[in-house]
Amino acid sequence: MIKNIFSFAFVLLATFSAIGQSGLPAVDKSPMDMCYYPVRYPNLKAQDKLTEPLAVRVIYSRPKKEGRAIFGGLVEYGKLWRLGANEATEIEFYKPAIIAGKKIPKGRYTLYAIVNEKTWTFIINKETDTWGSFKYSQAKDVVRTDVPVQSQTEPAESLTMVFEKENQNTNLVVAWENVKCALPVSF
Amino acid sequence: MKIVKQQAPFLLALVLLTFGCEQKPKVEPVAEKVTTPDTSNKQQAEITVNPYASVDVSPMDMSYFPVDYPKIKMANANIPPPVARLIYSRPHLQRRALFNGILKYDEPWRLGANEASEINFYKSVTIQGKKIPAGRYIIYGIPHNDKWTIILNSNIDSWGLKQDASKDVGRFEIPVSTNSVSLEYFTMVFEKTDNGADLVIAWADIVARLPIQF
Repeated sequence: MIKNIFSFAFVLLATFSAIGQSGLPAVDKSPMDMCYYPVRYPNLKAQDKLTEPLAVRVIYSRPKKEGRAIFGGLVEYGKLWRLGANEATEIEFYKPAIIAGKKIPKGRYTLYAIVNEKTWTFIINKETDTWGSFKYSQAKDVVRTDVPVQSQTEPAESLTMVFEKENQNTNLVVAWENVKCALPVSF
Repeated sequence: MKIVKQQAPFLLALVLLTFGCEQKPKVEPVAEKVTTPDTSNKQQAEITVNPYASVDVSPMDMSYFPVDYPKIKMANANIPPPVARLIYSRPHLQRRALFNGILKYDEPWRLGANEASEINFYKSVTIQGKKIPAGRYIIYGIPHNDKWTIILNSNIDSWGLKQDASKDVGRFEIPVSTNSVSLEYFTMVFEKTDNGADLVIAWADIVARLPIQF
């Protein structure tokens, strides 16, 4: 019962913190952000410094740690996580990509992960324009791949995603708290 | 909504609590000031430790039509695709005046911050009699004293400060009105109308509506 009351209060809080003055939506607690490869593509484009076309873009929301234990706590081990907050995290390939040997046609996808202590399973799924992972269907998976977890010395307060080039791969680095994980993508 | 009315005092307390919490000073062991590359954001960059990408002062947000489409889809997986999705960043007033403080009359504005604001139409729509094919566009505006010009442009994935007018797809003049409340954060949202939706563009006490038919 107490749990139910808390759930109810939480839903109300979530609802009311999303509505601001004059009924228009307030700013999200976990702000949305974008990352690209090439990194900072729109800035480079504005400065006429592009050396290669846009390959990939991720749209995700950035929850904050705010003193909480994240991995194994807020993000439970072994459970599906939307890799963000609010809307499902979206990854768009502007040209065909290869992940774990699987060729992925260009287009928009959603991105999820199952987080464990030593490995994360990244999941690319076809269902777009969706909220979180609540209606996730494995039948719509395009690829799943396991990636080892790395530790980082400088912890990240906000969930952070950035593309980094490593040899032939373009890694999507996902960092939060004191860990990071790199999903290798090649084009 | 019935529940909401009955629980109003309780809710008010919750709301106050929520906003109160957000105003707490940040307690971080090691703080390093990180500025974003855009000059308009240097006023109050987030103080944080992040080896990769700091959080933007003007957070990004998304508006769908139908409103809250991804949430509706949770309850009904078989609904047709959305009509429109807008992705924009939300600068805030921070005690500045909107005009002659942040914006200048008759000068193009990206209707946001950082990246150009993006609007995606999942099917073709009509704006002021002009057919706009399904697809992705950027949207920017030129505020005037008595009206705004809203522009759709095909130069997608671009930074907002540099518009290429040669790629304009359509220009639409809309009236502006003043609102009784002032919005701290720039806000864009769709509102249903009889024959489509208005894109409501609001900041400070200014409101402009772009009617879209579909």
